[in-house]
Amino acid sequence: MRNIWRLFAFDIAAPLAAIAALLAIGVVLGWPLWWVSVCSVLILLIVEGVGVNFWLLRRDSVTVGTDDDAPGLRLAVVLLCTAALTAAVLTGYTHWTRSDRDFTDDSRKVVQVATGMAEAMASFTPNSPDNSIDRATAMIVPEHAASFKEQYTKSSAELAQHNVTAQAATLSAGVEALGPSAAVVAVVLRVTQTAPAQQPSRVAPALRVTLTKRGSDWLVAEVLPIR
Amino acid sequence: MSDGEQTEPESREGSDEDPDQDTDEAPGPDEDESASTDDAVLSNYGIASAALGLLSVAAVVLAAVIWSAHRNASDERAYLTRVMQTAAGWTGVLINMNSGNIDASLQRLHDGTVGELNTDFDAAMQPYKQVVEKLQSKSAGRIDAVAIETVHHDLDTAPVGSRPPREVVTTKLPPFASRSDSVMLIATSVSENAGAKPQTVHWNLRLDVSDVDGKPMISGLESIR
Repeated sequence: MRNIWRLFAFDIAAPLAAIAALLAIGVVLGWPLWWVSVCSVLILLIVEGVGVNFWLLRRDSVTVGTDDDAPGLRLAVVLLCTAALTAAVLTGYTHWTRSDRDFTDDSRKVVQVATGMAEAMASFTPNSPDNSIDRATAMIVPEHAASFKEQYTKSSAELAQHNVTAQAATLSAGVEALGPSAAVVAVVLRVTQTAPAQQPSRVAPALRVTLTKRGSDWLVAEVLPIR
Repeated sequence: MSDGEQTEPESREGSDEDPDQDTDEAPGPDEDESASTDDAVLSNYGIASAALGLLSVAAVVLAAVIWSAHRNASDERAYLTRVMQTAAGWTGVLINMNSGNIDASLQRLHDGTVGELNTDFDAAMQPYKQVVEKLQSKSAGRIDAVAIETVHHDLDTAPVGSRPPREVVTTKLPPFASRSDSVMLIATSVSENAGAKPQTVHWNLRLDVSDVDGKPMISGLESIR
């Protein structure tokens, strides 16, 4: 009885688990060429080991699992099996769990940054003209900040002249595309412009905000009207 | 196990008087024997092997958890892609509608809907129909952006003066639908009138897409404005 479960655990289950772990790593990695070769070599070694083991079983009626004189070898088999399984779990965690979580986090973050940027860009208060531009330039990639500020000052000059207040709020926003280091977000704003002694006018522009990831932060690379 | 060895003589003594003890006793020596050999083998290598074995089992369980979580996440992404495709296809018919193909288009649109939008289809489509009837038969629509709506602010929840009622089709989850997602679409229709300058219609739409038996169906239509 004892020998049967030892045979099952050490001579059958352990090598099978190790092979399964190696194949699982391949599935997670998407079978890159280097892993195809490493994996086939390792599996060949395991199969050879199992073959020799069963040849010994037929010749001496003893295997790695049932040999009382070789506990060290048994430990080595279990150690290799555990190592393969642990490697598979770690690969799965880094390539699947963490990247899935990053995707969810990123899609939330990019929408947050994009709507904040769009709102700041489309808002204007004559009393404190630098207020929203400062908020916007903090979210933009540094190399575009200067040209963006210039553009904003130019376009808001007319609003300032007529003492027009523009207030932007997000109506709707969603991720159009998201990669590990780049994202595109569509934002529909409601911009309400109020001038003294005039009916407020209201428009709903649609903007496409392109973002890039710098370090762990998402920064705006470009804001363009969708049409 | 040393306890077992100590109690053994006692149980042997008891077995003479009490027949119940026999059943306990019978496996007793076996257990002790295996325990003593276990002690010899299990001592260092055996305990280490058992610990690694437990670690392996834990790794297998963890791998199963990771795999199922990843499958859920990728299924979700695949479903949302289908939702966006359905919404884009439906909107494609809507924005390409013109006075020449209005009846056929409306029928196709109606077939893609479910729930309240389906029952109140004519009322819901009325404003869009009015827009389309103004377009000439040579018109073409283009979808500029499609996205799953993740931020949605209803800025009109507070009643602002006496505004005309919004063209909102209220959406409850229609029967048989397991979930509903909002898709935002930004599109343009351009109609080329003979001898006049092209007329452009801009669409900012929000579509609710419900999952009815695995098939995404449009259950809500609204203008974002």
